[in-house]
Parts: sequence; C-alpha cells; structure tokens
Amino acid sequence: MSDPRDGSRNQVEQALERYLTEQQMTRRELIERIGALGALVALAPIVAACATGAASVAPSVVAPTATPARTTAAASAAPTATPVPTPVPSPESELIVYNWLDYIGEDVIPSFQEKYPVKVKYELFDDIEVAYAKLGKDGSGYDVSFPTSVDIPRFSAAGTIIPLDKSLLPNIANLGAEWKNPGYDPDNTHSVPYVWWTTGVGYDTKKVTDSPTSSKALWDPRYKNHISMLDDYQEAFGLALIQLGYSANTTDTTQMDAALALLKQQKPLLRTYSSDTVGTMVSGDVWIGQIWGSDLYQINQENENISFFIPEEGGVRGSDTAVIYSGAKHPIAAHLFLNHLLDAKVSASNTNTIGYMGPNEAAKPFIDPAILADPAVNPDKAILAKLEELLDLPNAVDQEYLTRWQALKAGG
Amino acid sequence: MLTKGRGTIVVLPAVVWLAIFFLLPLAFILVVSLGSRDELGRIVLDRPSLDNYRRAFNPDYLPTLVNALRYALLTTVASLLIGYPVAYWISHYGGHRKALLLVLVMLPFWTSYLIRTYAWMIILRDNGVVNGLLRAIGLTSEPIILLNTDFSVVLGMTYGFLPFAILPIYVSIDRLDDNLVAAARDLYASGRSAFLHVTLPLSMPGIIAASLLTFIPAIGDFVTPDLLGGAQQTTIAKVIQERFLDGRDWPFGSALGFILIAVTMVGTLIALRRVRREIVGE
Amino acid sequence: MNRERNRFLSAYALLVYAFLFAPIVVLIVFSFNDSKRTFVWKGFTTEWYAKLLANDDLLAAVGVTVQVAIVAVIFSTVIGSLLGVGLARLRFRGRGSTETLLLLPMVTPEIVMGLSLLLFFVALFDSRGSFAQLSVAHITFCISFVAVTVRSRAAGMNPHLEEAARDLGASALGAFRYVTLPLIMPGIVAGALLALSLSIDDYVVSTFNAGIGNTTLPLYIYSAIKFGVSPEINAISTIVVAFTALAILFAWRVGTFRGEDRQASEDAEPTAG
Repeated sequence: MSDPRDGSRNQVEQALERYLTEQQMTRRELIERIGALGALVALAPIVAACATGAASVAPSVVAPTATPARTTAAASAAPTATPVPTPVPSPESELIVYNWLDYIGEDVIPSFQEKYPVKVKYELFDDIEVAYAKLGKDGSGYDVSFPTSVDIPRFSAAGTIIPLDKSLLPNIANLGAEWKNPGYDPDNTHSVPYVWWTTGVGYDTKKVTDSPTSSKALWDPRYKNHISMLDDYQEAFGLALIQLGYSANTTDTTQMDAALALLKQQKPLLRTYSSDTVGTMVSGDVWIGQIWGSDLYQINQENENISFFIPEEGGVRGSDTAVIYSGAKHPIAAHLFLNHLLDAKVSASNTNTIGYMGPNEAAKPFIDPAILADPAVNPDKAILAKLEELLDLPNAVDQEYLTRWQALKAGG
Repeated sequence: MLTKGRGTIVVLPAVVWLAIFFLLPLAFILVVSLGSRDELGRIVLDRPSLDNYRRAFNPDYLPTLVNALRYALLTTVASLLIGYPVAYWISHYGGHRKALLLVLVMLPFWTSYLIRTYAWMIILRDNGVVNGLLRAIGLTSEPIILLNTDFSVVLGMTYGFLPFAILPIYVSIDRLDDNLVAAARDLYASGRSAFLHVTLPLSMPGIIAASLLTFIPAIGDFVTPDLLGGAQQTTIAKVIQERFLDGRDWPFGSALGFILIAVTMVGTLIALRRVRREIVGE
Repeated sequence: MNRERNRFLSAYALLVYAFLFAPIVVLIVFSFNDSKRTFVWKGFTTEWYAKLLANDDLLAAVGVTVQVAIVAVIFSTVIGSLLGVGLARLRFRGRGSTETLLLLPMVTPEIVMGLSLLLFFVALFDSRGSFAQLSVAHITFCISFVAVTVRSRAAGMNPHLEEAARDLGASALGAFRYVTLPLIMPGIVAGALLALSLSIDDYVVSTFNAGIGNTTLPLYIYSAIKFGVSPEINAISTIVVAFTALAILFAWRVGTFRGEDRQASEDAEPTAG
C-alpha cells in the first residue's frame, strides 16, 4: 500500500489508480462490483425510497417518497445517475467514520450500505478535543469525521483534510443558500456542513415563571445554586461579551477582562459549568442555564416544562462539518458518504433523529414539522441574522481566553 | 535476610519495562514541554525554552492545586477510616468466606466508572434517591443540595478508591499472627489496647500502601470532581486536561503536568521516609 | 472475641458493603427503565437487553476490553510482583531510585501518560493505536499498583522463614517457591484484582492508544455522553456484574470443597499468616 501521507492533492485519481493496479486477483472482484454497482444504480431510486420510507422516523416523510414529481427527491435518490463529467469510480470496500455515538441518523449508515458495497466502520470518540489530539497530521487512519466549523481553517492549512472533489458530490446543490459559501470554508472547498445550532438559555417554566428574555436572567440571585453555564470557554465568554455589547469573537483584551469580571460575579450563583445540559436540566438540579438550542429537543422528550430563548442581546451559532482526512485510505467511499449525507432525505433523517437542523434546503419537506416549528432548533431568519458565528481565533487570542477561563474556574 | 545480588535480577523485568514504556515516553513529553505550539496547533521545537514552566508558576492555578490536594487528602483519610474496619472484619470474621468477601469488595468496580458516577448523580441530585427518601419520611420539604458540592466530590472519590484501600490493608492484617494479640491479652492488655499497640502498628505497611494507592491517583482524578463537583470544585488535573485538549497546548499542558508530578513525587517521598523511620523502622 | 463487638463490627461492615453496592443497585434498576435517558424512572422494560444482544459494536467493545484486561493482568502481575518482592526483601543497588520509578507512573497525570505513549509509538513504530499498543499501555500503568500491594505484604513477612528453609537444605528457588510465594500469594492476588479493575475501567490512556477497531467498553460508554447514557450501557454493566458474580461464586464453591479439608488442618496448627 503506498503511503497516503504524502499530502498529495490528487487523492482521488491516485486512489483509483492504486486500486486498479493493486492486486491482479481483485480485478474480477472489481468487475463484479462495478456490475453490482451498476445494478444498484439502476435500482437506486427504489432502494432509497424503500430504505428511507421504511426506516424514517417521521411518518409524514413516507408519503413524499412515492411522488415522482419531486425533482429534488429524484435527484437525491440516485446521485450516481445524475450526469457527471467523469464516470463514478467504484468505492473501496470499507469506510471508517469517526464520530460521537448516535450523532447520526439511525438509518443513515444502513441506507448507505444498501446503496453501495461499502462496509462502514463507525468509530467513536466522546470529546471532539480528544479526537483532535489523536488525529495528528492526517487523521490517523480515519476517513470521515465531523469537526466543528471553527476548526476547518487550521485543518486545511495544516493539510489534515483534503479538498473535496465536487464531481463526486452532486448533492451539494441541496444546500441552503447561506451555506454555499460559509466564512470558515469559502465555497466549501474542504468540508460540507453537517448540522448547525444556536446557543441560548433554557429554563424550567415551573421554577422560572417570569418568561425571561435577557441573558441577565442567568445572573438572577433568586436562582442561586440552580444556574449553569456551558463548560466551553468560547461559549461562556461569548455570552458575557454579547451581554456587554461586544463581539463574541473579540480580540480586545480589555473587553475580555470585562467579560471575565462579569463571569466572576456569576460564579458564586452557579451550580456547575457543564455541557451535559440535557442531564442537568432534566434532573431538575438546574432551573436556568446556557444550553445549545438543539439540546432542547432531547430535553423536552423527558421534561416538557423546559423552554428556550435566544437572549435579546444576541447569541452565537455554530456548526459541525463533515470532512475527509488526508490520510484516508478510502477517499472514494468517503466522498460517496458525504454525498449521501447531503441527500435530502438522509439529511432529514439525521435531523429527525438527533434533533439538529441540517444545512440542507431540499431536506426541509422531509423533516418532522414539530422540529421545523421549534424555535430553539430552527429559529426564524430574523433571529438567525442577529446571531454571531463563532470563528476560529488566532492562537495568541485563544490563549488569552483560556487563561482567563482557567483563572475564572480556579478562583475561589 | 536480604539476599544480595539476586535482587537486581528480580526487579530487572519491571525496571526495563518501565524504562522503555514509561520513562522514554515521558522523555518525549519532557521535550515537548520545552517547545511551543504554532498557529496551526502543531508542536514547534526549534527554540526550546523554559517559558512554559515560567507560565505554569502562575498564582492563579494555586486554588486548583489546593483543591486537588484537599480532595485527595480527605479521600485518603476517609478511605482509610472506612476501609480499615472492613478489612479487619473480613480477616477476622470472614472465615472460609474471606476470598469471596474480598472479591465482593471489588465487584462494583468491574462496571463502568462513568455509570457508577452517573448512578451517584441519580442518588444525590435534588430530586434523587436521598432527597426523595428524606421528603418521604418528612424530614425535609425542600431538597438539600448534595450534588455539585465538596461533599459529593469527596464521597464519589472515596467510593472510587475504597477498594484500593481495603485490599492492601486486608493483605497486611491477614498475615498477622493471632497469637501476638492473644499474648498481649494474656499480659493484661485490654482489647482496645491490644489493637492499638499490636495490630495497628503491625498492619502499618498495609496502611502505607493503602495511602499511596489512594492519595496519589486521587490528585490526578479529574473526572469525579468534574461530574460530581460544581463550579467551585475545579482541580489542577482538570486544568491540565483542558490545556491539552481545549487549548491544544501540549507544551504548556506538559509543563503543568511535570510540575504536578514533581510536587507530588517529592512530597510523597518525604512523607514515606519520615513514616518509615518513625514507625516501621525500615 | 467479644461477641458485642463482633455484631457491631459486622453491622458496620454490612453498611460499607451497602455503600459499595448502592450505585450498582441504581444501575441495575435503571437498566430496566423505559426511557432512553437514564435519569427519571418511566416504567419497566427489558428492551435494552434485547437491543444489547443485537448491538455488535457494544459486544465487540466488551470483547476488546476483556482481551486487553487478561493480557494486562497477567503481565503486570508477574512483573509487578517481582518488583514488589525485590523491593521488600532483597538488597540491590539503586534501591532508592527504583522506589521512585515505582511511584512515578502513579503520580503521572493520565493524560500525560496516554499522550506520551502515543507520541512514543508514533515516533518509533509509526503506530497510532493497535491492540499491542493498548496492551502495553495498560500493563505499564498497572505494574505500580501490583508492586505496591505485593511489596506491603512481602515487607511484613517474617524474614527468617526463608532462611530456615535454606538452612533445611532448600535451594534459593525452592525456598522462594515453597515458602515465600505462598505467603505473599494473597498480596499477588490482591494486586491482580486491582490491576483488573484498573484495566477494565481505563479511559484516558486507552483513548489515545486504542486505534481503529479496538474500541474498549469505557471508550464506547464515554462516547455516548453527548446524547446521554443509554440504558443499554446499564444493561451491559448489569450483565457483567451478574456474570462475574456467578463465576466468582462458582469458583469459590469449588475452592471451598477442595480447601475445606486443608483449612481444617491449617486451623489446628499455628501459622505465620
């Protein structure tokens, strides 16, 4: 096997060549696979319809799959049948995906494995930072993963992820207009958006009865010992900075100091800094806390009394992306997987399972209407426009935040 | 009698193993601690310096170090106090069930650490088992805040390290000759006196071992204080973890780590020497 | 022995056992909880056990954990016991530094140990994780715990016993095998038990050294954090506890039948431990 870590940009062509010249004995397999793939391509619309229709979580999705009039459905159901400049190379036999447990729709991988003769290995991490620490220069053997958008600039600069071959990603047309050229990755050269979220405040309507609208409610001494903030310095400082009227991505250290002072005032009232917001709010220990909007979906499944608002001062939004690592041994399968994720129905299935909105405009008809209507998961455009996108900060600035964060946590 | 020469051969496998798979990797990290990270988060080693160590001696970190020491100390004392009687009981009253009882001590710890900690959260939270019971009996009307406090952290840590205390103490008590205590009683010592002057000192190696196996790892435990503790319960181990991961600053994290290692090591060695000289006379 | 103190002490011991098993009871109860998140009781169901049997990934993780644990316990117990005995009973040069070396792994923060091993393996073997690498990592952090436990047992041993055996014509190895070893065996077993617990539950070091395809149970469980710990994990933990308890009970039963005769004759004569 040639060394995939030479950082070459023509991963796909190389991989294809490598694949074809590798072992004489697999030529027969290759032909068989192409044949199988061809058959699958012909059957793909039916297979995809059956797969997503049968396994789909939201019953309202079943009806649309049978309607041939939906152009987006037809296009997404047979991605390899749409005209592409080069014939689609056959994928490798395996794909290694690195992700949180359950951070993917229940039927996304089964439907992918039905469509293509690829065995997907789903490897797990619990902490995106731990995952990053393991990845090294080229992803350490993982093919696909889902880093946060703020990390894309440095990953692409370091050559850890490869530029994507758009010819293998026709479903990218499904993206909403605001996602076609995001700030963290112009033109989506190195990544495709996966899901996005907002950060706001969740509160128990039974304990916090006055329907707050400002993030200052998190400083309300009435809720002492029942307030929480996210265990994430960008989020915590972001909230404080925005409350003070500054940008969440500020590089100004005086502004950071002001935010730190504000957070220090809050600390004696806090129950905990925790990113396990579902746990703390469902258990009732926390009555009001900083939470990610999409967590509300899961919280409400256990406790319907929890409501959510985006502070009137403003808030932040972020997103996760899907990328292919430069050391990936199965780049073709990886591209097909990414394309699969961009499929309207697959994207909808994701959203319906994990409760995060995807960037996929074409997916909207297939998403559970309850989720679409939920202002926490899917705020309307007016509110979205007010939100600041979390950015990748230069190392020196990062350290300024982290030092203050640790001083905040350490201080008595 | 201590046998000369043979000693080297006996300990050689361990020394060689640890030298290769522990010291050598540690040397790698030591080198890293002298470097810095670049814009892209990669480690840069072309200008080695002690900057990271200088930064680490920041008084801001002191409360977290104090927290870690405090919890470790409380946990160790609690584990010893709770564990010694149990070890004694197993040894003296266990009879032929001794092995079974010992393994029963270990059994809970072959489940997942995370699950056990979550179970404690279920027990201790505002609407949890304890508060539910207290309300049912009528002792309280409002929930007592048990979770996210110093109490819950020490409770969780003691729970986690109890077997590490019980086992070595048991092993030490069990080998004691019953006749020694019988002799003391024959010489008119009370039960209590016999225990204090015969059993306890002779089980000291076990107590020392238990203390080592509890205190030292407890300083580095960041998960329990993280999950069971609240905003006021951050420890130095968590700070180091955060530097490595959130800050992606391996060089600085390494420097902090080494300082922690050095401080704990020196402290432990001093304590050991003093205890040995005074009590065991080794 | 004073009867009253016996009862008081027994009651106390029972209380401690209750303390040890309290979370386990909660864990088992919630494995039957009819809710995806194990936080509030919603009703009884056995669906998680059914799901568990179909969950290949989870079962594979259990398999990896068991395999690594077996390797780690065997090697670390042997190496660690030798170290413990050596430090306690034998004289050799560099005793002080060996003692320091013994304590160092325990003093090192787990993330430092995990990352240092990763760096080491990447630099020397170009490996970012493998079963061998994982096993090596586990053995490394277990050795100290075994050594400390064995050492404390060996240190309390009557040194003259081995001497007496030598006087009676036993070789050094024979004296060790027939006198020392049986006497320190409880320490070795205790050390092995500790090593087993450490290995089964290790997260930080494993996470950096496992690599693709070697997800251990703790890794699997921790990865569920983002979406809450599913009762499936409670179910597997319950099964592990139940299975282990049965195995232990069985081994003990067998042990007692065979040992009962020996125990009776042992009780009749004074022993040194």
